[in-house]
Amino acid sequence: MKNNIIILGGGQAGIYAAREIRQNDSKSNIKILGEENLLPYERPPLSKDFLLDKKKEEDLCFHSSDVLKNENIEFENISITKVDFENKKLFTKNDDVYIYDSLLISTGSENKKLTLDNNLKNDIYYLRNLEEAKKIKELVSNKNKITIIGGGFIGLEIASSLSQLQKKVIVIEIDNQLMGRIIPKQIADLVQNTHIEHGNEIILNKQIEKITKKNGDYEILLNDNSLIETDFIIAGIGSTPTVKLFENTNLKLDNGIVTNQFCETSIKDVYAAGDVSNFYHPLYERNMRLESYQHAQNHGICAGKNIAGVKTEYTSIPWMWSDQFNLNLQLTGICNDYDEIIERGNDINNGVIYFFLKNKIIRGACGLGIAGKIGRDIRITSKLSEKNTIVDKQILSDQNQKLNKLIQK
Amino acid sequence: MSEENWIEVGSTDSIEEEDLIRFDHQDKTFCVYKLTDGFYATDGICTHEAVHLEDGLVMDDEIECPMHQGIFNIKSGEALSPPACEDLKTYPVKVDNNKIFIKID
Repeated sequence: MKNNIIILGGGQAGIYAAREIRQNDSKSNIKILGEENLLPYERPPLSKDFLLDKKKEEDLCFHSSDVLKNENIEFENISITKVDFENKKLFTKNDDVYIYDSLLISTGSENKKLTLDNNLKNDIYYLRNLEEAKKIKELVSNKNKITIIGGGFIGLEIASSLSQLQKKVIVIEIDNQLMGRIIPKQIADLVQNTHIEHGNEIILNKQIEKITKKNGDYEILLNDNSLIETDFIIAGIGSTPTVKLFENTNLKLDNGIVTNQFCETSIKDVYAAGDVSNFYHPLYERNMRLESYQHAQNHGICAGKNIAGVKTEYTSIPWMWSDQFNLNLQLTGICNDYDEIIERGNDINNGVIYFFLKNKIIRGACGLGIAGKIGRDIRITSKLSEKNTIVDKQILSDQNQKLNKLIQK
Repeated sequence: MSEENWIEVGSTDSIEEEDLIRFDHQDKTFCVYKLTDGFYATDGICTHEAVHLEDGLVMDDEIECPMHQGIFNIKSGEALSPPACEDLKTYPVKVDNNKIFIKID
């Protein structure tokens, strides 16, 4: 049967869902509605290789317009301002109407903004999309002392890039460790040391009291009364799911759009995937919301299958990475629900991994190493975790023993 | 096919099954794999970002990049999973007297 399938949100989850639907359904109309006037593109390079000029705008798109054309997937740059789930309609501000049979919501997430009591809103920069990355890249070229508010992945990746551009960088973090929302302190401390070795200043446990503009530069007053002078401010203080459009509808929201393991929302024929979805994970037996490259891709693919009628549970083990300086950080599974920690390696040149076990089963692992050094072990850990394998702790802790032997085929 | 193009990599027992070794020759890096049905060779650097595939995971006929989990088919070099989208170059391999040779063009 030929259906109208609309994908609301032109990011990674959206494009992977579209292509997966087409793999399973050659007839239906598939249309992606995106708010950016650009085909879906990769965001990870924006804070790294794009700022460093190692990757250009044209290197970022997942797929060319030819691929979309060949697969008969339409992409339209349009903003939807109202939804009518009952009648399966989407509206633009000009009251143009889009009618769907199945809808995938992949609107992603958006940056939290600093609450400032003065008129500095346009002076603080954030990085999520290409336009913002271009702006930061252009403006920092003649700045020297840059302050980053927030010591999470995005802030630290920008700090690493700007340091490589010979800028003086200060990172202010409210928590008592970097990347505290998901990264274990053991690894966060190693990352912190690396930033300090490269000349970045890391300030922990401090809140911003006030920011004052002075002769084009800024003074940041912290809650211990210390004052930081800076000539450019970037903030990366987390994100929230993009759900404003659905707030006054019947769609069930709770830290994003609530979905089951099949990407189905509380409304029939409406699915959600990627950052915007608070999905049920059968392995962990709870809902979670993830903001990562791998999740956006795999969740999009899973939604695509389900929309096309191939009933598929989402069981992907969470995995994410961050590249800072010459280091690659990776996390798999969940690292905050454990009764035992096992360390593998003690030198980041060869890679350091912490495994988090509960009832002898690996729940998660987080590692840091020179590019590539921890990837294989982290990947094997994902597989062990997925199969609930009880592991030999001796092998886990001994870097001279390969983890491949723990995988049961 | 002239004999000069075949470069000796090492002995066949230098690679465990379903594993790989890195082989550097002149200014290039290669990976040589032992799969259940024989030996194979590819470029040693991921096509996505400059990272050595020697630290990647070999599973069945696939090599997964250790940095961002891009996946390639070892036999064809085909990029199977993002962020890898450019195929990996492959090279002919032969075994002679328990020694592995790859043909570099």
